[in-house]
Amino acid sequence: MTEAPSSSSGPLSWDDLAYLPVSDPSFSVQSELVRQARDHNWCARTPYGLAVLRYDEVNRLIKDRRLRQGSWAWPAHNGVTGRFADWWGGWLLNMEGEDHARLRRLLNPAFSPKMLTELSPRFIALAHELIDAFSETGQCEYVSQFAEPYAARVVAMLLGIPQEEWPIIAEVSATIGLSLGVTFQQELPRIEAALDRLFEYCDEIIADRSATPRDDFATTLVQAQRDGERLSHVELRNSMALLVFGGFDTTRNQLAMAMKTFAAHPQQWALLAERPELGKAAVEEVMRLNPTVTWVTREAIADFEFQGLSIPGGTTIHLLSESAGTDPAAFENPAFDITVEGRKPHFGFGGGAHHCLGHFVARMDMSVGLAILAERLPGLSIGPGAEWMPLSGNTGAHRLPLRFTPTPVRSPVG
Amino acid sequence: MKVIVDLELCQDHGQCVIAAPEVFRMDENSKLVYDADPDESMRRYVEDAVDVCPLQAITIED
Repeated sequence: MTEAPSSSSGPLSWDDLAYLPVSDPSFSVQSELVRQARDHNWCARTPYGLAVLRYDEVNRLIKDRRLRQGSWAWPAHNGVTGRFADWWGGWLLNMEGEDHARLRRLLNPAFSPKMLTELSPRFIALAHELIDAFSETGQCEYVSQFAEPYAARVVAMLLGIPQEEWPIIAEVSATIGLSLGVTFQQELPRIEAALDRLFEYCDEIIADRSATPRDDFATTLVQAQRDGERLSHVELRNSMALLVFGGFDTTRNQLAMAMKTFAAHPQQWALLAERPELGKAAVEEVMRLNPTVTWVTREAIADFEFQGLSIPGGTTIHLLSESAGTDPAAFENPAFDITVEGRKPHFGFGGGAHHCLGHFVARMDMSVGLAILAERLPGLSIGPGAEWMPLSGNTGAHRLPLRFTPTPVRSPVG
Repeated sequence: MKVIVDLELCQDHGQCVIAAPEVFRMDENSKLVYDADPDESMRRYVEDAVDVCPLQAITIED
């Protein structure tokens, strides 16, 4: 492969970089503009700072300790202070160093893959139950009839919330999710009200499990301790709220992106139906090509130099996960294929110290869900009226009508 | 206690360093280095590291 003209290791000037308008609602991480910028160099300029476009550089910067997690300053970037900004700062994702490490050490055991084996049959039963409601009709509105209840009920299972209360999780998370979008400031009163409600909900769970411990994930969290240290009430509440928000919204959106991917690759869908054990690979491939988290943000702690570019302290750095995942220098044949083994890992779960805490759960619930969907929704296509979110920030679908060959109702397994 | 990390799988996320900083650390190039023969008293922290590794690249032998 020939080296791109300007990727030499000499000094690199910001003036030589392509410009990507990442905050423009019409900007797409999959646009030709981004492809050209990636051909041109490993990075591009943005209204906030820098966008990193190639696999190798994303891989190194996502773990680089000269950078901190980038979303911590998001409220300040939007001129938002007060209650919301205070909560935001206390979330695990927005902490660094020993504060972050201590909290993460206490939270990790609840998210261990060991805790998941007993959940798998419940995920299978849930997927069948939801699909039973529409499989005979050959069509569905996938977001409201599958992705949303599936993602919310998985969170409800983890926290031991009654299954029928899932719409509360969905509604509160969707509202808090507005904080990540361009209308953040206008929506602030609604977002704060949703956070109040979520915290009240978490307080109830904490009080309940403290009084009557059960054999469940929420109790594991409430009882978490290490070397005599425990989570404070506020830490517990913040962490549960982050789990609800982070676990629901991203899973719902990623499940929609999976349908987008498979609808464009009908042979792969048929293959997954025949070989459900490819569910795990399906999740990895979908997240490499159509990650809901289209970029992971970091911020330079102090001035530093990387690949010949001087990066001032405070610079926001967008690490473009899809651009890295389709980088021809890292993937000889980047086309979607769930049978390819030994691909380099994608960045859909972030990386480094802030690597997604819930990825084992997400990987399992999505792999189980996708394999069952493939089996029961053969001949998948996207119907008229799909409403997609912009291909930037955290992406997904608002509405996703699907068509498929009708299949019979089946009683849930397990 | 013997600790083995599959360095082919390892992606240097450093989650093991958070779980058991006495046994795992990142060097100046952000690459993982670790004590392959830690004291038995480290076992439960190493077990946390085994669990949390995103690549599941760590194993404990005896």
